[in-house]
Amino acid sequence: MEDADWWKSAYKTSTVNELKYMTPEILLLRGLWKENKRLWLLSFPFHLGLYLILANVVLLLIAAVFTLWSPKVYAEGDILMLMMNALIVASGWFGIIAGLIGSLGLLYMRLADRNMKLYATPADYFNIVFILMFFLCAFLTAVFVDPFFAAAKSYLLGLLTVGTFSSTYQPGQNVFGALTILLASLLAAYIPLTHMSHMFMKYFLYHQVKWDDRPSRSGNDIEAAVLRNLNYRPTWQAKHIEADGQKSWKDIASSSPKEIK
Amino acid sequence: MKPLLKPADIAAATDCLCRIEPGELAPLPAQYEDFNAKVPAPLKPEKIKNIEASLDDTVAIGIPTPASPEEEDALVLRFLSGLKKLFERENNWTFLQPLLLSMEHCARCQTCSDACPAYVMSGRQEIYRPIFRSEVLRRIYRKYLKASGKIMSKFTGDIDLNWTTIARLAELSYRCTLCRRCASVCPIGIDNGLINHEIRKLFSQEMGIAPKEIHDKGTVQHLRVGSSTGMTPPGAKDSVEFIQEEMEEITGYKVDIPWDVEGADILLLHNAGEMLAWPENVGAFAIIFQAAGISWTMSSEAAGYDAVNYGLWYDDVQFSRVAVKHADIARRLKVKKIVIGECGHAHKALTVIADRLLTGDLNVPRESAMVTLENIVMSGKLKFDPRKNDFPVTLHDPCNVVRAMGIVEPQRRILRKIAPQFREMTPHGVENYCCGGGSGFAIMSGYNFTEWRNLVSSRKKFLQILTAFENEPQDTPKYVCAPCSNCKGTIRDLINYYDAEERSRLYYGGLVELIVNALEGMQKPMIRFGEKPSWD
Repeated sequence: MEDADWWKSAYKTSTVNELKYMTPEILLLRGLWKENKRLWLLSFPFHLGLYLILANVVLLLIAAVFTLWSPKVYAEGDILMLMMNALIVASGWFGIIAGLIGSLGLLYMRLADRNMKLYATPADYFNIVFILMFFLCAFLTAVFVDPFFAAAKSYLLGLLTVGTFSSTYQPGQNVFGALTILLASLLAAYIPLTHMSHMFMKYFLYHQVKWDDRPSRSGNDIEAAVLRNLNYRPTWQAKHIEADGQKSWKDIASSSPKEIK
Repeated sequence: MKPLLKPADIAAATDCLCRIEPGELAPLPAQYEDFNAKVPAPLKPEKIKNIEASLDDTVAIGIPTPASPEEEDALVLRFLSGLKKLFERENNWTFLQPLLLSMEHCARCQTCSDACPAYVMSGRQEIYRPIFRSEVLRRIYRKYLKASGKIMSKFTGDIDLNWTTIARLAELSYRCTLCRRCASVCPIGIDNGLINHEIRKLFSQEMGIAPKEIHDKGTVQHLRVGSSTGMTPPGAKDSVEFIQEEMEEITGYKVDIPWDVEGADILLLHNAGEMLAWPENVGAFAIIFQAAGISWTMSSEAAGYDAVNYGLWYDDVQFSRVAVKHADIARRLKVKKIVIGECGHAHKALTVIADRLLTGDLNVPRESAMVTLENIVMSGKLKFDPRKNDFPVTLHDPCNVVRAMGIVEPQRRILRKIAPQFREMTPHGVENYCCGGGSGFAIMSGYNFTEWRNLVSSRKKFLQILTAFENEPQDTPKYVCAPCSNCKGTIRDLINYYDAEERSRLYYGGLVELIVNALEGMQKPMIRFGEKPSWD
């Protein structure tokens, strides 16, 4: 809109620019770094921990697929397996440690920071403790039982093959390992029900709230949606609205109410 | 030590939820330190005996006190009915999606708080924090409208809903200027300004509660007589005739303002307040357009000579009615485009928001005057002598033009060409601070609201202006360029309230006045510091 006769130009978007903006925003929390560095110091490791654990699960799945697909290619001592193992161990350990630091820090901040405490609800504490417990269990499992994520690999293989895959490695049962799996599963189901889904909803919040400047033009989908919406029949009760349940938004917007006649 | 207020405290039965104590407001520089102990003065008991005034010591709306507990209960139910409608597509298709997103995903990280000039300048009064009112609405919504809400509220945040809660929430929705600076800094994209806007809508559209300056004297009057100023079509023509005479007197340039020219390239829409309070702005536009040979017109039809649309701030229905009238007038005049004069909220209303309302031939192209003026100034059609503007100039960025629409550079390119001592405020552009008069505050003067605005919501802008000129000699006249009527009115009031013309030699005006002042061929300067204009 900084250009004269801007409506004569084609509406342009740039995926490259969007990626340039959103990649550091999502991965590094750039906005929080800019506006609230104190919180970033805790929020960044917290989110990094979650991202790395997600990456860890994806790597475990890939490793499981490789194992099932071609044991000859994906064999002990093979470079691909060495690389995968290194990535799994690194993402797992860094993820757990970062997540542990982040969730502990955020819990402390919610309890100690006056501004955050005033608005914190039991749900907020529950959510953060929930995630903290997951990271703590994962940490204890990694330290005491599964430092190289062999049990995690075996678990994913078992999951993919509904328990039919026969591995040479049989992990021992461990309460922390079981709790980690249980908490991770519950967390995956619980997050979409809470405000924590902003990790994913951010796409819509940015595109529909912050950035939506695509103009309505004759015949385009926005105009079609507006035309549909104008047929809704509002029921607002204030006198000046003069909604009777029969008049549409179009009727109301294009007429003057009695109050002003 | 003041008690810490939580969102649930809004329901508490106290005479005044929040009182600003002397010395709590953010300090002003030494030259204005005598204002540091000032706080909004409470209204006399007889003035508030029949209205709701228990939020702070300020009243913006003046909601009548219910006569009985039964009436209170009925109003509570009415509120809940309106709240439900905010989340229904047929009643709120306009803003439903961003509202839902903002209601559900706030992490309450408080990043928005430091971005809010009203909250920070108030000495961080809890009730002015951007998420305070959002959290109140969120808790009511979850507790009273969601399944199992009453049980789950112990987990997700409890709140009591009574008439006190509602009356305070209504008042509180008029302590935010809707500048949306909070939204611009939110890492997630939560828009607390939008939530506040929706609260205002609920009260207006369901309960008929809104400040009289923006409803009765605003949109209602606009639709009834043609202008929120009360100016009728013949009145508008008389004003313009006067402006033409004055312009010739002031600048020596004879100007002829065209009315209702069918097929003109441009329909120029002014905030009609300009005709009454700053006629030189209307005259300056006319001089520039005429000198540049632009094909343009103004409309003498009711509503067609007043670009304002107060519905933007509080009521989608009133907004739609005014926007449709504006577009329909342009359609019938068969103009190529509407150019919106120096009025920030009219920019947002008719360009951005009306984009999701106007269809077919009502969707007449709309352009900001900043862009049109830049085109003219840079075209070479007019000759300028920047030495005529050789005084310190700073630019105020109207939130609706800059943050909402991204129109940042055109006005700056003009100033760099015609104002050799132009300097920026810090921060500026899309990170600007609101003048404090946004969302209707500039025109809301009932009860004691003006003092709250001058002391609290405009305080940051006042500090910014003083800082922009801090290296200038005290006796040098300084020009605050505010290309928006409401911003200009707010800055005028600030200068008067703080005696800043006397203490800092601060003056204010629009962009077009500076352009005409630098224009070659004018026999006399348009900007004359310290001289009262003939119409004052």
